[in-house]
Amino acid sequence: MNAHRLGLAAVRSASASTPFFSQTLPRSLLAATLSTSSSSSLSTPSLKRPITTQKLSPEEGQQVLANQRLNRPVSPHLGIYKMEQTWFGASAWTRITGCTLSGAAYVYFTAYLVSPLLGFHVESAALASGFAALPFVLQGAVKFALAFPFTFHFINGIKHLVYDLGVGFAKKDIILGEKLLWISSLIGGGYLAFGL
Amino acid sequence: MASIVRPSLLRQTALAAKPAFRNSALRASAFHTSTRRSAFISPGPQRIEGTVNDPAPVPPPSAAHGSYHWTFERLLAAGLVPLSVAPFAAGSLNPTTDAILCSAVLLHSHIGFQSVIIDYIPQKSHPGLRKLFMWGLNLATLTVGVGLYEFETNDVGVTEAIKKLWKA
Repeated sequence: MNAHRLGLAAVRSASASTPFFSQTLPRSLLAATLSTSSSSSLSTPSLKRPITTQKLSPEEGQQVLANQRLNRPVSPHLGIYKMEQTWFGASAWTRITGCTLSGAAYVYFTAYLVSPLLGFHVESAALASGFAALPFVLQGAVKFALAFPFTFHFINGIKHLVYDLGVGFAKKDIILGEKLLWISSLIGGGYLAFGL
Repeated sequence: MASIVRPSLLRQTALAAKPAFRNSALRASAFHTSTRRSAFISPGPQRIEGTVNDPAPVPPPSAAHGSYHWTFERLLAAGLVPLSVAPFAAGSLNPTTDAILCSAVLLHSHIGFQSVIIDYIPQKSHPGLRKLFMWGLNLATLTVGVGLYEFETNDVGVTEAIKKLWKA
């Protein structure tokens, strides 16, 4: 909630009771008077100023700005979204799942290339026989760890391609899309891991 | 004018305002900036070029880095939708589609990793680190490309390998 909205709320409630206020009053002025008024000014109109301004030189202003910039979060970051807003549908999840899959592929194919030099076996036959020796639960877990990022990245990727067409930005569509995304990718990941 | 109106406005507003709006903490919160620190990487030294009111610099327009790149990324991503499903759905082993799929996935991954580096390692504050990561990525993608070629020619191919592993 910002000072502007506080001022607007004050205008609305004030204009309901007194004919003095009208729409033509400058709102910024109202916001300023409200934000500098004291908390116990019902009877006394004394002016306390909890927020003060001070004159700064351009150099000092730059220092303030530089210090403020140090507090900024890195921009594409899950921490900047509210959980109840777009956290679950954030495109960062596409990036995280994509990096998981691509990272795994990069590690595997690099290992495949250097394995003859280092003398270990990661070719498909060795990998498949090693995987077959694992217990069912562990097999399922490994499969799900690969399948869920795939289904999520796949479905959220399509969702974002639709967004790129400029479609689906209504609030209720976003919420619905988020729910469908998580349900379908969890079910899809589970099916690929345990159903096939 | 404002100085004459102000006291009377103040009284009217204070009388009319709901109790919640007279909460000083609420009033001050509008002026607070974020205090969260970044998680992955330090923001580095902050140098402000020019004055505080200068706009952010706009890079020279280049379609190859702008709209063409954007469109190419999207076409590649959209193309991967049928490419990644078809070989498994059709159940047939075709070295050509496998090679196309691998190349597309490699490019898609490379562009994706590039955008991660661009977002999290700012050119302005960490130029050396940016360069290191970009060249590291180029090297990694080249290595993986050679690895994929070896896998395709000497092993069973990516589609078949995934099938084998999944049915193991």
